Amino acid sequence: MRGFWWPLLVVFLAGCGQEKKELRLLNWSDYMPKEVLQEFEKREGVRVVEDTYDSPEAMLSKLQAGGDSEYDVLITPDYTVGALARAGTLQELDKSKIPNLANLDPQFADPAYDPGARYSVAYQWGTTGLAYREDLVKGPVESWAVIFDPQQQVGSFLLLDEMREMVGAALKYRGQSVNTTDPAKLAEAQALLLEAKRRSQGFAGGTSIRDRLIGGDIAVGPAYSGDILAAQEENPQLKYVIPKEGATLWADCLVVLKKSPNHELAYRFINFLLEPEIAARISNSIGYATPVAAAMDKIEQKDNPLIYPSPEIRQRLELLADLGEGAEAFNRVWAEVKSR
Amino acid sequence: MREAATPAQRLRRVLLTVGPGAFWLVLFVLVPTLIVLVVSLMSRGSLGQPVPPFGLHNYVRFFSDPLFLEIIGRSLWIGFWSTLLVMLLGYPLAFYIAQSRYKEVLLLLVVIPFFTNFLIRVYAWIVVFQKEGLLNALITAFGLPPGEFLPSTLAVYVATVYTYLPFFVLPLYAAVERIDWSLLEAAYDLGARPVRAFFEAIFPQTLPGLLAGFLLVFIPAVGTFVIADLLGGGKVTLVGNLIQLQFGSAQNWAFGSAASMVLMAMVLLGLWLYARTQGERGLDRLV
Amino acid sequence: MKRLLSLHAGLVFAFLYLPILVIVALSFNQSRFGVRFTGFTLEWYARLFSNERILEYLTNTLIVAVVSTAVSTLLGTLLAVGLVRYEFRLKSALRYLLYVPVVVPDVVMGISLLLLFDVVRDAIGWPRLSLFTIILAHISFQIAYVTLVVRARLVLLDPTLEEAAKDLGATSWQTFREVTLPLIMPGVVAGALLAFSLSLDDFVITFFTAGSGSTTLPLYIYSSVKLGIRPEIHALSTLMVGATILVILLGVLFWKKR
Repeated sequence: MRGFWWPLLVVFLAGCGQEKKELRLLNWSDYMPKEVLQEFEKREGVRVVEDTYDSPEAMLSKLQAGGDSEYDVLITPDYTVGALARAGTLQELDKSKIPNLANLDPQFADPAYDPGARYSVAYQWGTTGLAYREDLVKGPVESWAVIFDPQQQVGSFLLLDEMREMVGAALKYRGQSVNTTDPAKLAEAQALLLEAKRRSQGFAGGTSIRDRLIGGDIAVGPAYSGDILAAQEENPQLKYVIPKEGATLWADCLVVLKKSPNHELAYRFINFLLEPEIAARISNSIGYATPVAAAMDKIEQKDNPLIYPSPEIRQRLELLADLGEGAEAFNRVWAEVKSR
Repeated sequence: MREAATPAQRLRRVLLTVGPGAFWLVLFVLVPTLIVLVVSLMSRGSLGQPVPPFGLHNYVRFFSDPLFLEIIGRSLWIGFWSTLLVMLLGYPLAFYIAQSRYKEVLLLLVVIPFFTNFLIRVYAWIVVFQKEGLLNALITAFGLPPGEFLPSTLAVYVATVYTYLPFFVLPLYAAVERIDWSLLEAAYDLGARPVRAFFEAIFPQTLPGLLAGFLLVFIPAVGTFVIADLLGGGKVTLVGNLIQLQFGSAQNWAFGSAASMVLMAMVLLGLWLYARTQGERGLDRLV
Repeated sequence: MKRLLSLHAGLVFAFLYLPILVIVALSFNQSRFGVRFTGFTLEWYARLFSNERILEYLTNTLIVAVVSTAVSTLLGTLLAVGLVRYEFRLKSALRYLLYVPVVVPDVVMGISLLLLFDVVRDAIGWPRLSLFTIILAHISFQIAYVTLVVRARLVLLDPTLEEAAKDLGATSWQTFREVTLPLIMPGVVAGALLAFSLSLDDFVITFFTAGSGSTTLPLYIYSSVKLGIRPEIHALSTLMVGATILVILLGVLFWKKR
């Protein structure tokens, strides 16, 4: 018997020891075309391991559970950057190693969520509005009321499994800022969400909402702009709007994890993503707006106001801010909404 | 005559056989449980990690908020009724198999779903219940308007029953196989009518298997989060979902640990009652 | 009465197999959505195999199952022998500890191991969540099953056989290897098979102890299902059900031959 077990163990332990050179990326699902990753693999002669997540809260929890030493590069929502940096999870960027930062639109050089862009590089930006199937809704979709007002429901809907976006939408519907931590306003948002949850089909991630809209399973749902705009080719009945009460404007950021063993490779990867050719390929494929100004002339949909919002729409958009200690109040609301 | 082993030899043998396994169980079962207990007494840090101060606040919160008691109640309720349904479906089936000429084939037919991956068994019901799924296709074929079955408590029930049915049939079948049928003859001879004869002569013989099967279904059914997660769409919250939520998106490990301790305490209480009535042989029937 | 029983059995079997058959049928269906059969296709299988990650997930799943089964069978068999043959202090405590992994809900076991790895990693910077931690976690619940299955076989053993061997001058080790082990081998094999299938089946504990690059098939199915129905998953499920049936049939044939 001994003859049988030991070789297995030895093989296994040997397998654990060897470290191939690889870049480990934690990313939203369906958020980077495979060809781009393959191109990087080919150019650098390394392997890229991409893991994906659907809910930033679950992702943060994963980082907490030791994920911070498992990835080199993370793509994370803007409002999480501050908290991650304060917790010592992020590596302060050595900008001399990312020469292509020069390609970036200047407005991302000093964003509100990361003053001086010390820790983060913008990857994509977009909005979170309402997506719907024109052929399945029973009325106009122009307000968050289709979710929050039982009288104005136009069809079955899902809720987005993202705390800040969903609580933010309820706040917006009531005419509040998406960043308010006023307990009374949050309690109101909680009540709205709980009522909506009862009528909804439950919670789902952004790509799941997109797929279920395409499948005709639901008629309406909050969604990220690019997911829907990229899927419009597949089903032209799929529409996206910024509700009249307003919506969030966000950027997802590239950050380097402090415990990553591979800072050099991480920098090269970020630099690679900022090449105009690559940046254009990404945005043309996944449907979000690129922060790489130098790539703009290669963007197919640069005139689409839903991707690059007109000044008129921009007035209705609000950035998600880093709430610091105020995040706890949001967490409580969310835990209640999810478990009640 | 061989000599009795010296105490030193005996100790060596015990250490060689029991030692590694016992060490493993202590390190990976006992110690983690104690860690959960300690963490359940801590507070939530700014990123969700457990930090001091220590106290009973998580338990106070758990037992003072009707929300959490409701979740526990719902878990027990759904667990209990689905287990009962499993028994109604599985009990006669075990008898049918035991008496059939094709016993081995039928057993195989129970074993195949048993060994089919758990997630696939749950996933199958999404395919049946989804809006354009099998059930709605059947309903509309009869000219009725399609219904919405996903997410729903009904779907959670059906999938729970489906998932754990083989867990129940197999141990019960083992009990039915061992039934002493001569007792039934005796009951008839004494003039009992069929139903009465069954309950007097046969049913008591299956009781140990029935109880073991009950626990085998009830405990995982109360503790599951996957079924409610996939078929309840986040609308049917069971205690398992609560725990997963606290370790996932709600990021409150300390409170999640307290909820885990409550669930564990309930399970151990149930098990203790079971062991009291069935003895250790009863515990063995759970494997 | 008999007829009623057959009817009942027929319905239960239909209930058990209907969903599986639906998946199998849909895996060959052209239509991406819905259950209307619009035509036969192998496209979903082609798509499944064009995903080079699938092979990696399968390898991960098998590595975990093989290694954890090997270790847990070894430890569990020894543990069973010790529990049956020897008396020692804390024996009854150990027996109760053995039942804990069997009865505690997966989610509790999962988070407790997650916390353990977290505490240890904070202290010594190791181990990171990976296939290695999944294997440790699987062994932890498999040991209990292996021990209990092997012990069931051991207590049925006629102790005079071992005594005879010892009277003939065999050392304890020789007795164990030449007499005890061959006699309990069916129990060991059954325990190993159970451990193996438990490992393949496990989702919840793996979910909490997996890290980057250690995705197993159940984890993959879960995250795909969370993203929505995809016909590739029907194809994958069909293949897995097929493999399950094949393995069970082979097992039955093997058993019959003995």
